[in-house]
Amino acid sequence: MTRTRGSRTRAMAVALVATLFATACGGSAPSNDDEASGTIRLLTPIFEGADGKTVLEKQLGDFKEKYPDITVEVDYTSYGKLNEKLTTSIAGGRPYDVMLMGVGWIPPFAEKGALAELDESKQELTQRYNERVVEPGIYQDKVYGLPIMLDTRFGLYRKDIFAEAGIPGPPSNFAELREIGRKLTVRDGSGKLTRAGVDILSNDLRQTFLPLMWANGGELWTPDGKPAFNSPEAVGALQLMTDIIRTDKSEDFGFTQPGATGLPLAQGRAAMMVGHNNHLLAIEEQAPELIKEDKIGFFMINNERPAMFQGGTLATVSAKSQRPAAAKALVSFLTDEQASLAANEQRGNVPALNSLADSEYVESNKAAQFAMANLDAAYSEGGVPAWLEIRGDFKAAIESALLGQKTPQQALDELVVKAQAAIAKG
Amino acid sequence: MTSTLESVSVASASRAPRPPRRRRKLGAERRRAAYLMLAPSVIHLIWWIGIPVVATFGLAFTNYDVIAGTVEWAGLDNFREIFADDIWNLSIWHTVVFTFFTVPVAMVIAVIIAVLLNQRIKALAWYRAAFFMPHITATVAIALVWMWMFEPNLGLFNLLLDWVGVNGPAWLSDPDWAMPAVILVSIWKGIGLKMLIYLAALQNIPHDLYEAADIDGASGVRKFFAITLPMLRPATFFVFIVSMIDAFQVFDQVYVLTPDGGPANSTTVMTYEIYRTAFGEFDISAACAQSVVLFAFLLVLTVIGRRLTGKDGDEA
Repeated sequence: MTRTRGSRTRAMAVALVATLFATACGGSAPSNDDEASGTIRLLTPIFEGADGKTVLEKQLGDFKEKYPDITVEVDYTSYGKLNEKLTTSIAGGRPYDVMLMGVGWIPPFAEKGALAELDESKQELTQRYNERVVEPGIYQDKVYGLPIMLDTRFGLYRKDIFAEAGIPGPPSNFAELREIGRKLTVRDGSGKLTRAGVDILSNDLRQTFLPLMWANGGELWTPDGKPAFNSPEAVGALQLMTDIIRTDKSEDFGFTQPGATGLPLAQGRAAMMVGHNNHLLAIEEQAPELIKEDKIGFFMINNERPAMFQGGTLATVSAKSQRPAAAKALVSFLTDEQASLAANEQRGNVPALNSLADSEYVESNKAAQFAMANLDAAYSEGGVPAWLEIRGDFKAAIESALLGQKTPQQALDELVVKAQAAIAKG
Repeated sequence: MTSTLESVSVASASRAPRPPRRRRKLGAERRRAAYLMLAPSVIHLIWWIGIPVVATFGLAFTNYDVIAGTVEWAGLDNFREIFADDIWNLSIWHTVVFTFFTVPVAMVIAVIIAVLLNQRIKALAWYRAAFFMPHITATVAIALVWMWMFEPNLGLFNLLLDWVGVNGPAWLSDPDWAMPAVILVSIWKGIGLKMLIYLAALQNIPHDLYEAADIDGASGVRKFFAITLPMLRPATFFVFIVSMIDAFQVFDQVYVLTPDGGPANSTTVMTYEIYRTAFGEFDISAACAQSVVLFAFLLVLTVIGRRLTGKDGDEA
């Protein structure tokens, strides 16, 4: 057999790279240690800042009392930096034993063998959680993640502004959403927008578009796993967003953005918005009187059906953990009532456990109450292993439609082509 | 016989005198000590720069799945893929635009400030420190302050514009204004170092040149263009090349001021796109291919810089 010079060079290059990475990534094989003991590493994006750290340390103190032989080393991060931490730890051959990750992350990591299957069944879990809450942690009928908290997106509106305008209640379909939006939009003499009738820009654009798409009867994927987000229903949802900005001018592109200083709804610069449940915390900080005087209301996004976006945080165990028993013990602990309630409280989020619906925290937080009451209409993103590659392209596609650079159909068709390429690449 | 003696004497004359054994030993010891002292730096360079650079080049030609830990040969596929990607091509264009506006504009401003701060004025040290301060302040801190100033409703810029009856834009969330806003911050941040280099160069210009020009009756402007600017040429080349390389590697202020590449990807630059590809999409191989392209840009700039500064040095 004759080998060409090119093939030898290629073989040598692959061998060199493989050697480099074998050296760098050569984590040892997972242990079969069944004893819940030893030191384990936890990566968390949900206990941010000094307050978050205090909450987790208190919980870990209780964990230590329960499991004196397990020591937990914590690496605190934010969702913005979670990818970097996960990538570098896995590439470095030293993955975290317990990783808290978002909805949509389970299929990519489970597909590639990075997650350990948990000792839970879907049937058992649905006793404790709503089925919609359990699904994001399951991949190919195996449970890889247990939910700690939910990040939900739905409609928020200012009851006082609606009452002033004589509008009896929030919109129940897209046509009403546009009509009320137009009616409540205020511009000054120079045409400057002083109050957006509908604020669709304070929330992440993808997470605004998706509940609209679901409410319009659309789906992310066809039953055989092909992209469906250029369906007529999805195009209709993006058309609605485009109409709000370009036709109705109920909000100007650039009026606000996610994470901007000051939430327009709290400042009276927006009459309603597609927002996150923890926007209620922001309102409480910026304009506490709105909460006290019950001026904030909530509504499900509705057209063909009611819909709510359901993200969240799930606890997972690395497939390469040297202490799987200890790691699973920590996952159980972090997802139990006490620890998950503390985590939800510090972030203003929605508890995943059904039993927490009656907790003092949920009773005091109307957004959490609203979300928990509507979980049957909750939809989650993700679902395919290539999701993490696909999701980043949504923003540019949606923006191109909102800016009039492309029609909603063109923007979503191009997005689907990119998604197909990402899925094909594997 | 004579010839033999001659050849021996020629040979011994051409050979260097053999150092005494003690000196040889000392030389070897000194070499060993030198290698020992250099070792940490060399190990650091190999570990943190050498291996990552080799790995980056290697991975650019593979399909490396970071989560699964698999590597497959991909040839030029990653390069084809990135150049077929609109956002990557847009990021190259944005980087060029960013560089075009930050480097020459900041250099002109820096020269003017350096000339002003080279005069005998009161509180000179204070002014110099003030102009240099942005360079030594953490970029993230600077960007956060500027974010507040750019805030469309409560920010300083729009409040000032409101006073003169102008509706200020949404600086960081308007696709037409986001890049100019980032460029403004970058110019402001980059002036300090450039000014310092120019200031040092200005102080090396022989004063007698100005005295001769004074005798000839040259005006201040004439002296600036006929003496100061030509004498600043070596410093200008240096500042230009270093600034170009810095501009191509801009990341911090863009990332903090306009997360996610800015509105409609209006501030997506090459470094941000590399970061997004690697850590947003987990496509390490494509990110490595993008890094190789960025490296090629920087290499070309550096070679041009070397040529220009080298030529300038020869003339001197």
